[in-house]
Amino acid sequence: MFGEQQRFVLLLIAPAALLLLLFQVVPIVIGANASFRDWALYNPRKTWIGFDHYVAVISDPAFLYVVLPNTFLFMVLSVAGALVVGLALALLLNRPFRGQKLVQTILLVPLMVAPVIAAIMIRWIFNDQFGIVNVVLEAIGLDGQPWLVQRWSAFGIILLTDIWLWTPWFTLLLLAGLQSLPKEPFEAAAIDGTTTWRVFRFLTLPMLRPVIVVCVVIRAIDAFRTFDIVWTLTGGGPGRSTELFSLYAYVHAFLNLDLGRGSAAAIIGGLIILVIGVVLYRLVDRIAKV
Amino acid sequence: MAAISLSKLNKHYGSLFHAVKDVDLEIADKEFVALVGPSGCGKSTTLRMIAGLEDITSGDIRIGGNVVNHLPPRDRDVAMVFQNYALYQHMSVYDNLAFGLRNKKTAEAEIKVAIDRAAGMLGLHELLQRKPKQLSGGQQQRVALGRCIVRNPQVFLFDEPLSNLDAKLRAQMRIEIKRLHAEIPTTSVFVTHDQVEAMTLGDRVVIMRDGRVQQTGTPLQVYGKPANKFVAGFIGAPAMNFIDVTVRSETGATSVEGEGLRLTVGASQAPALAAHNGRRVILGVRPEHLVLGDGAPGLGFDARVEVVEQLGSEILLETRVGGASVTAARVPAETVIARDDQVRLSAQAGRLHFFDPETELPISG
Repeated sequence: MFGEQQRFVLLLIAPAALLLLLFQVVPIVIGANASFRDWALYNPRKTWIGFDHYVAVISDPAFLYVVLPNTFLFMVLSVAGALVVGLALALLLNRPFRGQKLVQTILLVPLMVAPVIAAIMIRWIFNDQFGIVNVVLEAIGLDGQPWLVQRWSAFGIILLTDIWLWTPWFTLLLLAGLQSLPKEPFEAAAIDGTTTWRVFRFLTLPMLRPVIVVCVVIRAIDAFRTFDIVWTLTGGGPGRSTELFSLYAYVHAFLNLDLGRGSAAAIIGGLIILVIGVVLYRLVDRIAKV
Repeated sequence: MAAISLSKLNKHYGSLFHAVKDVDLEIADKEFVALVGPSGCGKSTTLRMIAGLEDITSGDIRIGGNVVNHLPPRDRDVAMVFQNYALYQHMSVYDNLAFGLRNKKTAEAEIKVAIDRAAGMLGLHELLQRKPKQLSGGQQQRVALGRCIVRNPQVFLFDEPLSNLDAKLRAQMRIEIKRLHAEIPTTSVFVTHDQVEAMTLGDRVVIMRDGRVQQTGTPLQVYGKPANKFVAGFIGAPAMNFIDVTVRSETGATSVEGEGLRLTVGASQAPALAAHNGRRVILGVRPEHLVLGDGAPGLGFDARVEVVEQLGSEILLETRVGGASVTAARVPAETVIARDDQVRLSAQAGRLHFFDPETELPISG
């Protein structure tokens, strides 16, 4: 049925295909099946209920007015924050200075810290009784704040943690991008009498755009499914005010043990990511062609 | 007035590499000077130091009488054309041309006038809305030239601008640059490793080797009176033939003898050579100064043909004379000649060069 070469190719891709099938396709199919059933652990009959879970999720005020806005806000701000700081650091590291290698190594430290560990550290830093931030504030005569029990300060701290964790990743990729840019246009610009700002605005940024867009696409999709740091820092609280999409699905599936509703939420999230991914990839394609 | 003056210019890269050594050069206002030499001879580094893209280690650079040693490039009022064009790929041709003027906050109306003028000179009108990627190499280099012209600088610097073009386009662009310099007489420094470009473009040619200037002169001077053996071999295509010979000075006649050849030296060169009587010297003769057959008496020798290169307009002959390889150009294209033929070659009178084998300096009267 197959030629020798085709058999060889099949043999090569078989392990990857098998893994993909077992750990990606099968769970998605089981999850999709669960999302159409009343698949709570206390209901062994797993009754078919059609789109009820989907309707419940998209008509849930907490999902519509808290979880979705939080998720998008988090995605936009964390990607934008890490991009801006990462780009600034990459620009700094792109010019030689004494101790540059040392600074570069120190800047990469957050990449080596597990997100959960980082979140635990940050939680302690902002602890309202023992945290260093409040200690410092009180030492200079200001009032300590209950950082993690107010919605926007808690959300801000989640963002801060995520930006801290991901900035080195942006720095590393953007620095590689900067170093691969041709030197001559910058020399031509120097001779043309271009100011530093105009070089950045009209040369560096446009020339780096393909790298920036790829970084943003990858990171945006990743940010959409952030779970660990939010769960560790606030658990979605205070109340449900910092809950992101992944927490919403997790709480329904594994705390409320309603696997059907959790699966439905996960599939809705998957579809949203799919749409965002396609839109962003089209964007990449268009920009790369410029 | 934008004369350029380099005095005792040096460039070290670390402690190991001395790229430019004590270069002294005076370039007059509106003069077109070609810096030529093999790869790594320091010509591009010299140009980049004039532009301000490389720091100088020691010495002085003056443009228009002002010392510019530590001025940033933008304050030197120079424009530069790069080997790989260095165009802003994401901008249209128009925006590429306008960029330098917009830096100076020039009014858009003025920019348009300047671009129109440059585009007219270089035939860029059709291309103004295109991106550099959509242009051929020659068109991109014309845009790079245009970018320099619109700024109306004191000095044009060219860093091997034709090296990335094919032979035909290179010849066209050479003419274009020459025409441009006639239309807009601006002090220009043109770096190239191609001696044909240097000879055809330069009012004066500066030949460099290992960071040092070997000779500065008009194309005719460097061709006719090379300052040393290196210049003699570098300038001219095909390259000058060099043959080891021994000087024989007898009463009334001076001649040189090599393996398979004995040439009588003309009266103008005889006295200088006579001082080297019995010693080994290097005879240099350009391929285009060798003719097939018997020429002036005492200037002929026999050679065995090794390679025949038919160029259509002429034949290039690679021959062997004793142990030396000798090239002869300007052999009429119709000549019937084949490998291993024995031929008679004659040097043109007064066209022989002699060099001291140790100093490589010319031996002349």
